[in-house]
Amino acid sequence: MLALKNISYKYEGTTRTIFKDVNLEFSPGKVYTIVGKSGAGKSTLLALLSGLDVATGGEIVYNGENLAKINRNHYRARQMGMVFQSLNLIPTATALDNIVLSMNISGVGGNKTRALELLKTMGISPEKSRRKILKLSGGEQQRIAIARAIAHNPPLIVADEPTGNLDKETEGKVLKIFENIAHEQGKCVIIVTHSRRVTTIADEIWHVEKGIFRRFDGNVNAPQTQKRRRK
Amino acid sequence: MYLLSNAIKNLERNKSRNALIAVVTLAIVMAAVVTLTINNAAARIIDTIRLDLGSRVEIRQDFIEMRQIGLGRDDAAFVPIASFMQFAESAYLRNSVFNAAMYAWSDSFRAVDDFSETPGSTTRINDNGEVVLVETSRLVGTSEPASLADFGSFREISQGRMFENLNEAIISEELAVQNALTIGDTITLSAAYSDGIVYTLEIVGIYADRTEPYVNFFLAMNGRFADNRRNEIITSFDTLIAGGWQTNAGLDMQVEYFLADPANITAFEAEVRALGLPITYNVAINQAAFDRVTGPLAGMHSAATTFMFIVLILGAITLALISYMAVRERKYEVGVLRAMGLERAKVAFGILAETVIIAAVCLILGLGIGNAISQPIADFILEGRVATANQEISETGGANRVLFAGGQMQTDDAAQGYTPASEIQISLEVAVILQIIAITLALAALSGIIGVVIISQYEPLKILRER
Ligand SMILES: Nc1ncnc2c1ncn2[C@@H]1O[C@H](COP(=O)(O)OP(=O)(O)OP(=O)(O)O)[C@@H](O)[C@H]1O
Ligand SMILES: [Mg+2]
Repeated sequence: MLALKNISYKYEGTTRTIFKDVNLEFSPGKVYTIVGKSGAGKSTLLALLSGLDVATGGEIVYNGENLAKINRNHYRARQMGMVFQSLNLIPTATALDNIVLSMNISGVGGNKTRALELLKTMGISPEKSRRKILKLSGGEQQRIAIARAIAHNPPLIVADEPTGNLDKETEGKVLKIFENIAHEQGKCVIIVTHSRRVTTIADEIWHVEKGIFRRFDGNVNAPQTQKRRRK
Repeated sequence: MYLLSNAIKNLERNKSRNALIAVVTLAIVMAAVVTLTINNAAARIIDTIRLDLGSRVEIRQDFIEMRQIGLGRDDAAFVPIASFMQFAESAYLRNSVFNAAMYAWSDSFRAVDDFSETPGSTTRINDNGEVVLVETSRLVGTSEPASLADFGSFREISQGRMFENLNEAIISEELAVQNALTIGDTITLSAAYSDGIVYTLEIVGIYADRTEPYVNFFLAMNGRFADNRRNEIITSFDTLIAGGWQTNAGLDMQVEYFLADPANITAFEAEVRALGLPITYNVAINQAAFDRVTGPLAGMHSAATTFMFIVLILGAITLALISYMAVRERKYEVGVLRAMGLERAKVAFGILAETVIIAAVCLILGLGIGNAISQPIADFILEGRVATANQEISETGGANRVLFAGGQMQTDDAAQGYTPASEIQISLEVAVILQIIAITLALAALSGIIGVVIISQYEPLKILRER
């Protein structure tokens, strides 16, 4: 469904090549986790996948179409849901408004009932849903960002460090939801994480280092980098 | 539609910033409403006055100007009465009012302030060194009693009626009382500056007079009681002319020629010159009177215009700055929306919608409040300006010199007797509303376009990374 073909990338005005000739493929119905050192280029990859940034070489193909050539606004709005590392919620708007607005932008139409329900499954009460983002805790904000990414039911979900601020119990709930979306609803879920627990729901784990992606099979112990960074 | 409802929500989300924008916009709209309505009302009044004073042409010998170019009284030229009538037939005119005044002498009654032994026996020495009798009254004739100066304000008929037929006249209460004259009595008068012209007039009305008896101090001090306005005997123009006048020698002709279009004054002048009007005569509107009447209004008009430009320019700059800062402040929000896939145009639409909503609210409020405060503000400003103008008039002391040449009189203050227009009626006209809408839209467009230009310069990723 989503494939990287010989992708290379370099930030404008820098000399360091972040990616060189990367080839990856993501399929529906699966959970992918991407792990790697801080600064390895995980967020950069997601920016490319979401069409917010354009690769300096190679192409990203979504359902047979080159991302560089299609209307990336539509792609972002309808085909994918993104959880940003920095969340990127509208701070002065309520949780509910953030989600309804995103649903509207995606074209499925703002549906308050669905949004409230979704927030509830994320552990956000209706009372909190009507609070401004500014007045919610980091963990609550993170769950709202996740709810926003999945509210319009996109076939592709991309999440950057979505459980960093969550306690064990909540993290478990959220992971269940991601798992369900991939395995029951047949969506493609790509998660960047430093958390070993997150990798437990993954169908494929990819480790990125020095611009090279290497796949782990499920039985191997977590890579060293991950151990060191574990909180 | 969700863009609109989001825009409305955004207004509420950023209350203080939007309140600031609204206050500035409202101030601009209100200032524009007030100044434009005042300007319009003032311009309309000035136009009306121009239609009256500005189309009212007087043809008079200008002694002051004659003296300035070295001409004396002997150079005064006289115009046949028939010519004055002929001028009135010009196609440029819509109407003419014939007025004339002359000094008269009588011993059939005693003039007010005549303290001589027998009525009319006061004498003086004329330019030729001869002893002559001093005139006792002024006979005023008009073809249009309705247009008589001061009637309706300081004068009114208290007994009898206005003159209608030949040889009927009205006199002042003071003159009537002093001489025990009543309705139906007759008086006789002769022209002071033209031999053989005699009138026998029947008194048909008596008027109460609250005007100043003397138009200036000089006349009172010199015992020129003929110039006491209580000694004005008023009759029809026809009666006055029928006394036997051929030219205006000894007669003060004050014909008012009303142009159909004030612009045609030069054409009219050419026409009357061709009919033989001497060059010592001016063909002119009473500019001094026009200026005096419209002065405060015109001053208010130009002050309001200046004020509005200042408010508009300062307001536009303030608004531009606020919107510039506002959009920069909202850069992040814009980045989020763009990252979620909202097109640039839609983001711009949202921001424009916010400005337009603020502008629309300010427009309605501004029109309402501005309309409510325009009248008192206009009254206040005009009152001040009229007071200043009147102060100046009283300081210059009105008409200073009265010149005589063969019975013709001229003061050096042509605006004598005119007072500044002191009433202004403000109303919010459709034209003003449209102008205000245009101004508000321009302001909204200004702040909206600034926003749109700024947001379109940023890529969403850049905005989000800058956080
Ligand atoms: N806008 C930028 N311009 C230049 N270099 C950048 C820019 N953004 C990121 N980088 C660099 O690119 C590299 C990859 O950054 P990226 O954000 O993808 O790392 P990451 O793997 O997501 O790290 P983390 O786990 O800390 O989130 C880093 O070395 C970073 O310093
Ligand atoms: Mg990152």
